[in-house]
Amino acid sequence: MDVFTLKKDSLQDFLSTLSAAYQLWAPLQKDGDTLFEPVLDCRNNLPDLDHQAKIIKHAIFPQTEPLFSYDQNDQIQAPGFGDMKQAVLFGVRPCDARSLTLLDQVFAGDVPDPYYMSRRDKAILIGIACTDPFANCFCTSVGGTPCGREGLDLLCTDLGNRYLVAVLSEKGKEIINKASSLFTAAPAEDIKRGAELAQNAERGIRRHIDLAGVTDTLGKIFEHPVWKKMTLKCIGCGICTYTCPTCYCFDIQDEPMAKKRGRRVRVWDSCMYKEYTLHASGHNPRPTRIERLKNRIYHKFKFNVDTHGAFGCVGCGRCITLCPVNEDIIENLLAVKGAA
Amino acid sequence: MSIQKLKDEAARALGRKDVKYLIGYKKGSYGFRVSPAFIEPKEDVDQLIMSPLCNMSLVKYVMMEEALPSLTEQAKKPSKIAIVARGCDSRAINLLLEEKGVPREKLYIIGVSCTGAIDQRKIEARFPQVTEPAEVTEENGNYIINVNGQVHTVPKEELLADLCKLCRYPTPVIYDKLIGDKLPTKPFHYDEIKAFEALPLEERLAFWQQQFTKCVRCYACRNVCPLCYSTICSLESLTPQWLRRSVDTSENFMFQIIRTFHLAGRCIGCGECERVCPMNLPLMKLNRKLAQDAKLLFGYDSGTDPKAKPLLTTFHSEDPQDFIL
Repeated sequence: MDVFTLKKDSLQDFLSTLSAAYQLWAPLQKDGDTLFEPVLDCRNNLPDLDHQAKIIKHAIFPQTEPLFSYDQNDQIQAPGFGDMKQAVLFGVRPCDARSLTLLDQVFAGDVPDPYYMSRRDKAILIGIACTDPFANCFCTSVGGTPCGREGLDLLCTDLGNRYLVAVLSEKGKEIINKASSLFTAAPAEDIKRGAELAQNAERGIRRHIDLAGVTDTLGKIFEHPVWKKMTLKCIGCGICTYTCPTCYCFDIQDEPMAKKRGRRVRVWDSCMYKEYTLHASGHNPRPTRIERLKNRIYHKFKFNVDTHGAFGCVGCGRCITLCPVNEDIIENLLAVKGAA
Repeated sequence: MSIQKLKDEAARALGRKDVKYLIGYKKGSYGFRVSPAFIEPKEDVDQLIMSPLCNMSLVKYVMMEEALPSLTEQAKKPSKIAIVARGCDSRAINLLLEEKGVPREKLYIIGVSCTGAIDQRKIEARFPQVTEPAEVTEENGNYIINVNGQVHTVPKEELLADLCKLCRYPTPVIYDKLIGDKLPTKPFHYDEIKAFEALPLEERLAFWQQQFTKCVRCYACRNVCPLCYSTICSLESLTPQWLRRSVDTSENFMFQIIRTFHLAGRCIGCGECERVCPMNLPLMKLNRKLAQDAKLLFGYDSGTDPKAKPLLTTFHSEDPQDFIL
């Protein structure tokens, strides 16, 4: 495996090269927030690698996706995927890269979803190692690590005035080749430093929970009073699910358009909403916030394990950080364990 | 304000036969966060805290109480909820009483005089990545912040939530028990709204377009609002579907206009919508514009008088009419 060094002074040139050849995405500062967005001007708006981007999955799985449009004569127009540009996602955190491998289990399984695949196949992921994890990161509790490589094509580690860049796939190699003059072979001491930082980073994770046996426990406590107790403060908004990199639920809707046309769209949905399980009859099998919050935890820590063999959570901590009422999934899971 | 007084008062409330539980604040799970506390046995009142970090309104929880499974079970339970309410929260309660959204008998209000709450974003930017529980007290215009065993002194002005700087009713306007001193009511001003209104239309439109493009429609602003309590929300209506589920600038405009207009002459200015927004939309700019109009046109100050009639349900012959075409 090749490992290179990229001077921080050269980052702008590297990104410019990328944005000329690819659709470039990166975490960018916008009104004081860090949002994962297409890079329009990499000369004046360098990626913000110090903060966690609020949402990242929309780069591959957009919130609103038109599936096709139609008119009154049954003339259907579906999007063509052939001319879609390859995309480079820069500044992806290792947990977020892992989350895409979890989304793959849903969208790239036996019947691949062409809309998802059109972006996924064409996406190249350049990761940034979390040498200084965020307050609510708990990736190590769900099988990840802050400098993990799963799902990435390149992994950059910050070494002060330069990045250590590990090539992890053929796609990654292709990227390096596009700007080969900017990269030099990494000296042994840089590689050693990178390994040390990765080890330290694990120690830098401040939040932990031992999840051994939690799936079995969930199998036994569906009717336990603990669910009501942990739900009391939930306000039933969609922040946790919309910012979650592994939540993929969607709704499909037909919408009228101008000139007697209509379109079918796929939009994110949230199991925290009343409408999510509302039946046409008016019956709702998840009538209160209690059943909804319970479902979110069951999905991530039981159903996903039963179906795909892995937790549906990568420990990015967004749901904890962004919850306005301190609904904390680590506390919730501790309560689940306590109910065993 | 003495925390012991609050705990004593809470224990007294929970000792009443007609109070089923109390909603207050307790330490959050990490860093600077606080959590709503739902306390039933009075021995648990020791969890209660009251500090400048208590920045959330608890009034919504009164309105979202999940119905108990059967009426018989409901009938067995005592009826009152005790709630810790700051100035803004008490105004929300007042408005709910005005609208008959909640009966007065259902509430036992422990009012707390409030000198303003810390903006979570400001303190977390100042002290990033704090996981250990931190403590903050207020002394002589400073916040004394105890984080990871170190004590920092930060001028209050730097961390105080912007909306708290505009607060006019720091002392609750309705309560069963008041804790803390009565603080003076402050004058009314909407300078920042007037300044924004003075901008050219194109500039204002561009501003809101940029803001609403960011909205992801998590509905946190609606869900947290103590005054959004319709059992069937127009945003969820399917026949007709007033709002498309597609998330784009145009639909987001529609959503925010519906949300804001439902608060016309109602918003009491607690700023919860703005606090919870994951995309940091300046929603109070809209709400305060309507509050300003209610005040300037009708002299109506929402939530300050439980005996008042809701503004938009009343008509007086002297009401201004020059805006009617």
